[in-house]
Amino acid sequence: MKKKSISLLLCTAMAASMLASSATVYAAEDEAGEKEWEYKEAELSFLIDPDTASAGYQAVFDLMEEKTGIHVEVELRSSGGDGDNQVKTRLASGDMTDLCGYNSGAKLGELNPEENFIDISGEAFAERLDETYKSAVSAGSDTAVYGVPLTATMSGAILYNKEVYEANGLEVPHTWDEFLENCKVIKEAGTDAVIASIGDSWTIQVPYLGDHYNVLAADPEFPAKFEAGEAKYADTPAGVESFQKLADLQEYFNEDYTATTYADACDKLINGEGAHYFILTQALSSIYELYGDEVNKIGLMGIPGDDPENHGLTVWEPTSVYGNANSDKKEDILRFMEFYTSDEALDAYTAALKPDGPYCIKGYELPEDAYDAVKEAQQYFDDEKICVALEFETAVKGTNCEYICSEVATGQSTAEEAAAAYDEDCKKQATQLGINWE
Amino acid sequence: MNKKKIYSNWFLVPAVAIFLIFFIIPMVTSLFFSLTIWDLKDYTFVGLDNFKTFFGEHSLSISVKNTLIYAFSTSGLKVIIAFFIALFLTSKIRTKNFLRSLVFFPNLVSAIAIGIVFKALMHPSKGLINAVLGAIGIAGPNWLGDTNLALFSVIAVDVWKGVSISTVIFIAGISSIDSSYYEAASIDGATRWQTIRHIVIPLVRTSMNTIIILSLIGGLRCFDLIWAMTKGGPGFVTDVLASVVYKQYAAGFYGLSTAGNVIMFVLIALIAFPLQKFLNSREVYN
Repeated sequence: MKKKSISLLLCTAMAASMLASSATVYAAEDEAGEKEWEYKEAELSFLIDPDTASAGYQAVFDLMEEKTGIHVEVELRSSGGDGDNQVKTRLASGDMTDLCGYNSGAKLGELNPEENFIDISGEAFAERLDETYKSAVSAGSDTAVYGVPLTATMSGAILYNKEVYEANGLEVPHTWDEFLENCKVIKEAGTDAVIASIGDSWTIQVPYLGDHYNVLAADPEFPAKFEAGEAKYADTPAGVESFQKLADLQEYFNEDYTATTYADACDKLINGEGAHYFILTQALSSIYELYGDEVNKIGLMGIPGDDPENHGLTVWEPTSVYGNANSDKKEDILRFMEFYTSDEALDAYTAALKPDGPYCIKGYELPEDAYDAVKEAQQYFDDEKICVALEFETAVKGTNCEYICSEVATGQSTAEEAAAAYDEDCKKQATQLGINWE
Repeated sequence: MNKKKIYSNWFLVPAVAIFLIFFIIPMVTSLFFSLTIWDLKDYTFVGLDNFKTFFGEHSLSISVKNTLIYAFSTSGLKVIIAFFIALFLTSKIRTKNFLRSLVFFPNLVSAIAIGIVFKALMHPSKGLINAVLGAIGIAGPNWLGDTNLALFSVIAVDVWKGVSISTVIFIAGISSIDSSYYEAASIDGATRWQTIRHIVIPLVRTSMNTIIILSLIGGLRCFDLIWAMTKGGPGFVTDVLASVVYKQYAAGFYGLSTAGNVIMFVLIALIAFPLQKFLNSREVYN
């Protein structure tokens, strides 16, 4: 009697579980491709700088907690050189968070990713990342993939206030000389023509780094030659010109540019106190978080060169999320990454914060209501007038870049001196980090 | 022979062990690593290359010059200003105790906090200092942005912060001078200035030497205030040895950064030891 009741119980349980599982399959099919996520509570820590607008990733984290049970605890660190130091120190002392938010490209190579980060190249979700992005998080290896993109791509561009342009009857310039003409008109009208923000000194690199499209236009082989040690900035005219542009801008800067911070500069741009700001398009999100739809007062142009027919845009691969290889939560980290790169997550991201450029997930389109400036950037993508910044094509980016650019922008050194100093800086970097580079 | 020795040499062991582990061994290893390219795990021996790089590159060598300017001017200004404040505070004034605490106040705040506050005060367009100057019709300079002025702005803040401790040392020195010297001087009809020149200055020399040495070494290794105010910028104009060492470390150049530390150590030793010897030789005992 007793045996019988047990077997009956088992049978019922089996039938019930079968029913339940068939119900799950049914549900998964029902919601047209939406994946059913495994729910298991876990907590991951995530270290990121405060200049990356948080609304987007926070929205994904909230959805993730609801769907997968992974709670992400965000910890903020400094940005720029200080932040680099904190990341390196925490990696060296074994005190890194489970997830680390950091640059892609050459700067990833400085973190010794082979030892510190999880290689995700074998995972199914890594297939969704586009090839340019993958090579930017491979740290020079042919196969490895260390990160997933935290945000959409960015561009290093000139953001400008369209109202200032209308008030002065100006057109978008297509050569550097036309651009300087515009600056002159704006300056005479009593507005700051160019906003610079050495208070956050990383921002002053953008005019130089964002000019890479024009360096490539003059010599498409430059990155390869630079990597091979055959070309130097100092003896490449287009390279010196990139630094010269910083020197050209000095007379148009706002009066307090040595103390202005990134946040101040965003305010100045949207309020029309300044007309142009050379910055990464992440500034659009920073402005959107504070000013909402007013962000569409901002237009975008690539840094112009000499040829009006060839006005292109330099693109940055996004900040990435890397999994700490020394964390004991590897499984949860991979679950995090799989969720973070899903369409569901991208939808949540886009609903909270519009992208600063196209995504680097294959097949995921920009939303209809993207910022106007991003649509203008998309135009450069459609015309195929884009290139990625030098730091995503070579293994070396000089650490003193921001200070060397500050020197030019404050009139302490000439473009030629800066180009030579930057070459030296790259050489020092290669020697000190043991990279095989001349 | 050894009969008079009461204590065994073994009593020295704890002290020597601590000294060895925490001071001598790190010093010797850092001397070694300054000759290598080092990623905290593996190293390659490169001889004196790191030192050549340090003195050869503008962004690094400028720090040696700046450190010397910084150390000597803060030290000099602190001695002179503190001496006169101390004279004033040891004279017969009513609010003496209140004023003494007031002078000591800046020293209670951390250097980083002071740096952040002064960075805001010295903002070229929004800062309080330039707002006040503007109100009385003076166009204030760009304190931390002007490349010729930036280092001196930081020096001024360092003096403001550091003058208090020197003042306290001077007050102690001046108060310990026996009043009979003053009596004798006044009987001889000495003026106030003559009293200072021939009694106070010679007799506070011990305090003065302490202040010179302390503030000079403090200036040579200063980091916190500079980092909070300018981060060595704009460009490299306010970079000192300590901030350059920090930047190289941040970049992951551990060997080069250690070489910077060795240079700092040698520089401090080369200046501090002869100076102390010279100053001690001129002391007058009370």
